[in-house]
Amino acid sequence: MKQYEPEYFKTLAKQLRFSLSDTEAKDIADEFGILLDQMRLLDKIDTEGVLEMVYPIEAETSFMREDEIGHTFTVEEAMANAPRKAKDHFVTVKVVG
Amino acid sequence: MNFNDYKIKNDPQTAAYKALEKAKAVQGKLNAVVSYVDPQARLDELKEIEPNGKMHGIPIVLKDNVNTKGILTTAGSRILGNYIAQYDATIVEKLNAAGAVLIAKSSLDEFGMGGTNLSAATGPVYNPYDLSRMSGGSSGGSAVLVASGVVPFAIGSDTGDSVRKPASFNGVVGFKPTYGRISRYGIIPYASSLDHVAFFTRNVADAATSLEVLAGRDDRDMTSLDLPVEPYRDRLNADLAGKKIGILTNVLDAIHDPEILSMFNGLIAKLKERGAEIVEIEMNQDLLSAILPTYYIIANAEATANHSNLDGLRFGVQKDGDDVDEVMTNSRTAGFGKLIRKRFVIGSYALFVENQDKLFRKAQKVRRLIVEDLKKALSEVDGLIAPAAANVAPKLNDTSLDQLSSTYLIAENFMVMGNFSGCPSITVPLGYKDGLPVGVNLTCNLYDEQTTLDLALAIEQATGLSDQIKEVA
Repeated sequence: MKQYEPEYFKTLAKQLRFSLSDTEAKDIADEFGILLDQMRLLDKIDTEGVLEMVYPIEAETSFMREDEIGHTFTVEEAMANAPRKAKDHFVTVKVVG
Repeated sequence: MNFNDYKIKNDPQTAAYKALEKAKAVQGKLNAVVSYVDPQARLDELKEIEPNGKMHGIPIVLKDNVNTKGILTTAGSRILGNYIAQYDATIVEKLNAAGAVLIAKSSLDEFGMGGTNLSAATGPVYNPYDLSRMSGGSSGGSAVLVASGVVPFAIGSDTGDSVRKPASFNGVVGFKPTYGRISRYGIIPYASSLDHVAFFTRNVADAATSLEVLAGRDDRDMTSLDLPVEPYRDRLNADLAGKKIGILTNVLDAIHDPEILSMFNGLIAKLKERGAEIVEIEMNQDLLSAILPTYYIIANAEATANHSNLDGLRFGVQKDGDDVDEVMTNSRTAGFGKLIRKRFVIGSYALFVENQDKLFRKAQKVRRLIVEDLKKALSEVDGLIAPAAANVAPKLNDTSLDQLSSTYLIAENFMVMGNFSGCPSITVPLGYKDGLPVGVNLTCNLYDEQTTLDLALAIEQATGLSDQIKEVA
C-alpha cells in the first residue's frame, strides 16, 4: 500500500473506528497534496531550541482543593442518554462468547 | 435594538415570544436554528427575581455545543442527534442569573470544526444579506440570528476565528476575550488549547455588558483565569488621545480588493482624526504563512483525541454491529459527517509516532514563535487592526481561492493568532461592499479586555455602524 493512496486513508480511518467510502478516500488523497504543501511551510521555520507551546497561558490555573463532594450526577442522569441499558449498566453486544 | 432598548420597550414575556416568532419566521430562509426552546418556564422564574439583572428579559440564543439541561444538544453532529444534556454549562447558569431568556439553540459546523457552516448536520446556514452566500462558521447560526434582528445576543465559540469571521460576514460585533476569561465547563470541545467561549452582539456597549455577565473564575474549568471581573461597560472610553494602533501590514498586502482596502484606509484616517497614533507593524511573513498549517495540525490532533469518547455505546446515536468494535465503527461512520472524518484522519496522521516530531511537536514550536512575534508587535501598540477577511461572505460553493496564496494563508486566517496566543480579539463592522458587510478585527494584549472594548467603541463611533440589522423578508 503506497502512502497517500486512497487505501492508506481507509486504513487510518479504520484505526479511528470509522469507514471511508471509495469516493471519500479518493477525495482525501486528492486534497492531501495541498495539505502537505501547506505543512511544508513549517519546514522553513527554525525551531531549534524552541519549546512546544501546549496552552496559550502557561501560568498555573489548577490547584488542590478540599476533598469534598462537589458537582455530582445521579446514576439516572449519568445513564439518561445510554442507547441500551439494564438496571444500572450499559448494555453492549457480547464481548466474549 | 440594544439591551437597554429591549428592557425599556419590551416586557420579558413579549420580548421572548417576539424573538421566538421571528426565529421561526426566518428559519425557512436562514436555516439557523437547531432547536427552539419554550421560554415559559424561564419567564415564570424571572417573575420571582428582581428585574435588575444585566440581561433581564433579554432573549438569547446559544450555539448548540453548549450543554443545556433537559434540552437537545447536538453540537451540529448526527452522532449527538438524540443527546439531551444532563447539566447546564457554567455560562448558562451565569446568563440565567443575569435574567437572560433562552429561545433557541443555533446551528454550527459539526463540533465547531469549520469556517463555513456548511458541515452542520442540519444543513447550511444562509447569509441574511444574500441568501446565496454562506454565513461563515463555525458559529454561523448564532451570527445570523443576531444579524437578522431575532435576538440582540448569541453565544458562539471561537477555536480559530469561528465568531470573529462570521461577525465580519454578517455585520455584527463578535468578541473573543482572553483564553480562560470565560469558563468552558459544559461546552462540547473541539480543540482544548484553542477553544474560547465568544459571543455576538450588535454594538460594543452590549459586548461589554455581556462580558461582565460571562467572565469569572470557575473551578470546574482548569484553564479558567482567577482574575476579577471589571465593570467594563461603565469604564468604556472611546477617547483615542494617546492611543497607539498598529496596522498589520502583512494582512493588507495580502488583500487585493480595492474596495475593502479603501474602506479600511478610510477608517484609519478617521481614527487619526480622533487622536490615535497609527503605526505600521510588519510581522514575520514566514510565521504568518505558517498559521494555517500549524492550526490544522494542532486543532485536528486535539479534536481526534477529544472526540474519541463518541462511540455510540454510552450516549449518542448507536448503530448495530456484531461486536463492540463494529458497533463503534458503524456508529461513528454514520454519526460523523464527511468533513469531520477527513479532519480526524489528518489529526491522526499528525499524531502518528513517526510524524509526532516532524508535525505535531513542530507545530507546537511554531505556535510559540508566532505568539512571541505577535506579543512583540503588541508590546509596541495598544491594539493591532486589519480587515477581518479578504472579502465579503463567499457564495456557498465558492472554492476559487488558491490555498497556497497569501490571501488564503494570511488574510483569511491571521485571526487564528488570537487563539494561539489567547489574546482578546474583536471584530466590528467596517462597512459594506455591494450591500454586503465587511468587518475589521482588533487584537489587544492578554487580559486587557477594557482596551479592546475601548478601541472597538472608537472604531464603532468612527464608522457609525452600530445596531445593524438585516431584515429577512
